Amino acid sequence: MVRLIVLRRTKPLPYASILIPVSSIILGIILSAIILYFLAGISPLALFSLIIRSFISPTVVKDTLILTLIGLSLVIAFRASIWNIGAEGQIHMGMLVAAWIALFTPLTSAPMFAKITCVLAGAVAGALWAALAGVLRAYVGLDEVPITLMLNYVAYYVLDILVYGPWRGRFTYGYIRTDEIPEDLWLTLIPGTTAHMEVLVVAIIIGLSTWLMFKYTIIGLRLRILGSNPEFLRSAGVNVKHVMVLALALSGAVAGAVGALYLLGDTHRISYPVEAQTAGYGYLGILVAWLSMLDVRAIPLAAYVVSSLRITGITMQIAGLGGTAIVFLFMGSVLLTYTIAKVFSEYTIRVQR
Amino acid sequence: MIEDLVSVLPVFITYYLVALGHGFFEKSGVLNLAIDGLFVLGATVAFAVAAYSLNPWTGLFMSSIVCSLFGAFIAYMATKLPISHGALGLSLMFLGYGLSLVIGIPANNYVYAAALKPSAYTIPTVMNTLMVLFIASILIGILLHYILENTKLGAMVRASGEDPHTAEALGVDVLKTRIIAGAIGYALIGLGSAFFTLTWRIGWDPKIYLLGHGWIAFAISLAAGRHPILTIFTASLFAGLVRYQYVVQTTLGLSTEITKMLPFIAAIISMTVFYVTPLKRKLASPKSLGKPYYREERTV
Repeated sequence: MVRLIVLRRTKPLPYASILIPVSSIILGIILSAIILYFLAGISPLALFSLIIRSFISPTVVKDTLILTLIGLSLVIAFRASIWNIGAEGQIHMGMLVAAWIALFTPLTSAPMFAKITCVLAGAVAGALWAALAGVLRAYVGLDEVPITLMLNYVAYYVLDILVYGPWRGRFTYGYIRTDEIPEDLWLTLIPGTTAHMEVLVVAIIIGLSTWLMFKYTIIGLRLRILGSNPEFLRSAGVNVKHVMVLALALSGAVAGAVGALYLLGDTHRISYPVEAQTAGYGYLGILVAWLSMLDVRAIPLAAYVVSSLRITGITMQIAGLGGTAIVFLFMGSVLLTYTIAKVFSEYTIRVQR
Repeated sequence: MIEDLVSVLPVFITYYLVALGHGFFEKSGVLNLAIDGLFVLGATVAFAVAAYSLNPWTGLFMSSIVCSLFGAFIAYMATKLPISHGALGLSLMFLGYGLSLVIGIPANNYVYAAALKPSAYTIPTVMNTLMVLFIASILIGILLHYILENTKLGAMVRASGEDPHTAEALGVDVLKTRIIAGAIGYALIGLGSAFFTLTWRIGWDPKIYLLGHGWIAFAISLAAGRHPILTIFTASLFAGLVRYQYVVQTTLGLSTEITKMLPFIAAIISMTVFYVTPLKRKLASPKSLGKPYYREERTV
C-alpha cells in the first residue's frame, strides 16, 4: 500500500518564487495538451508550436500591458487575503462610465482632458462597484468570492440594458451597440504593436505606486497584515472592516481604470451582448496575480506568459478549434497545477511503501 | 395554470438537486467554489452522452458519474494536502468551463449535422414524468436530511466539517468521510445539472458557461443554511423567480436583461438576509469550512 506523507519543511524550498510558477506553467500546459489530445484530437506538437509562436507575436504586447494592470489590481486585494474575483465586473463598470463621458458629455471637445477624466471616472466606478462587495464582506461577513463573482453577472446585464435600450447608437448598421466614441479620444498606438502609449504610462504609474505603497506606506502595511494576521491588526486598534473595504476599493479602482482604457483604446464602443464580447481579462488576471506569487515585480512577466496563452487560444479560434475553450483549459490547468505545486514551497511529500 | 406549474418543475429539480449536493459536500468542511464550472460540465456531459447514445437516462447517469469523480478528487486534494480550498475550487471551475466547451461544441455540431430532434435525446417534458422526477428529488432531499441527522455517516460528515482534528481523534476517518461526501454531493450536482440540458433548456448553448446557474444554486443552498428540507423553499423561490421572470417581464414591459439580472441580485440579497438575521446562528456554517486540514503529527 502506497501512502503519501506530507511533511513541513524546516526551511522553505529554495528558489520557490521561480520554481513553482515555472513548473506549474509547464505542467499546466502539458495537462491541457493531454486533455485536448484525448477529447478533441488536437496534436500536442501543433499546440506547443502555436504557444511558442504566440510568445513572439506582436499582439502579445497589448495583452501584456492590460493584464499587468489587472494583475496589479488583484494583487492589491490578494495580498490582503481578499479574493477579488470580480475584476470582470469592475472593468465593465469602468467601461460604462467612460462610454457615458465619451458619448454623451461636452467634455469631448477637450480630448486630453476628456481622456484623463474617463480613466479617473472609470477608476471611481470600479472602486464603488468593488466596495459594494467589500461592505458585504466586512459588515455582513459574506464570503467575497461568490459575491464578487455574482456582481460580474449583474455588471454585464447593467451594460446590456443600457446598450440595448437608451444607449443604442444611430450608426450601427443593424448591430445592437453604441455609437463609436469620437476619434479624438482614441488612444495612441505604440508603433509596430496593437498596444497603446497611454496604457503603458498608466501601467508604469500604477505599478510603481503599488510597489511603493506596499513597501513604504501605512496603508500597504495594513493590507499586508490583514492578509497575514488580521487578529494582530484588530489588537493594534485598526478598524479591520475599513481595511477590507479599502482593499477591494483600491483593487476595483485599478480594474475600473483598465475598463476605461480598454474602451478608449480597443473597443471604442460597447456591443451587445456584453457578456459574450468580453475578453475575460478579469478572470485571466487571477492567473497573473497567482503566478506572480503576489510579488508586484513579477507581475509583468506573469502577464506576458498569460497573454501568450490567451493569444494561443485566439489563434486556435481562428483555426476553428474553439478559442474560449482553450483559454479556459489553460487557465484551469495552470491554476490547478499552481495550487498543488504551491504546497511544495512549505511542505514536502514523501511516498511511503 | 397546470401547465404553468408543470413548467416550473424542471427548473426546481435542477436547482434543488444541485443545491442539495453542494450543501451536503460543504457540511463535510470542504469549501466548494468549483460548483458553477462543474455544473456546466455536468450539463454538457449529460447532453453529449444523451445525444450520442440517444438515451437521456445514460446522459443523466454519466453526468453524475463524471461529477462524482471530480467531487471525490476535490475532497481528496483539499483534505490530504494543506491547500487553499478557494484556489482549488476556482481552478476546477475554469477547467470545468474549458472541458465543457471542448466536449460540447463537437456534440452540438453532431446534433445539427444528424438533424436530431430534441425529443430523440431529452427527457419528455410531460406532466407524469416531471411529477415523478419532482417527487423523487424531494425524496432524495428527505433521505439526505435523514442521513445527515440520524446515521453514522451523517454524524461523521458533520464532525469532519465542524472540527476535523477532534473527529480524527475520536476515530473518524476524515479523508474517507470527505471523499464519500464529495462523491455523493457531486453525484447530485451532476444529476441536477443533467436536468438543465435535458428538460429545462432542451439542448446545449455555446454560451452555457456564461449563465451562472451554479452560483444561483450556491446561493439557494447558503440561504437555507445547507439544510436539505429548508432548501426546498429557497429552491422553489428561485425556480419561480427564474421561470416566471418572462411573465413579469412581458406584463411590466421590462427588458430581458433586467430579468436575467434579477436572480443574481436576489441571490446576493437572500444571502445577506440569511447572514444578518438570527438564521445564521441557528443554521451556522460548519466551523472548519474551507480551512486547510493538516496534521503535522502524522509526519513522525
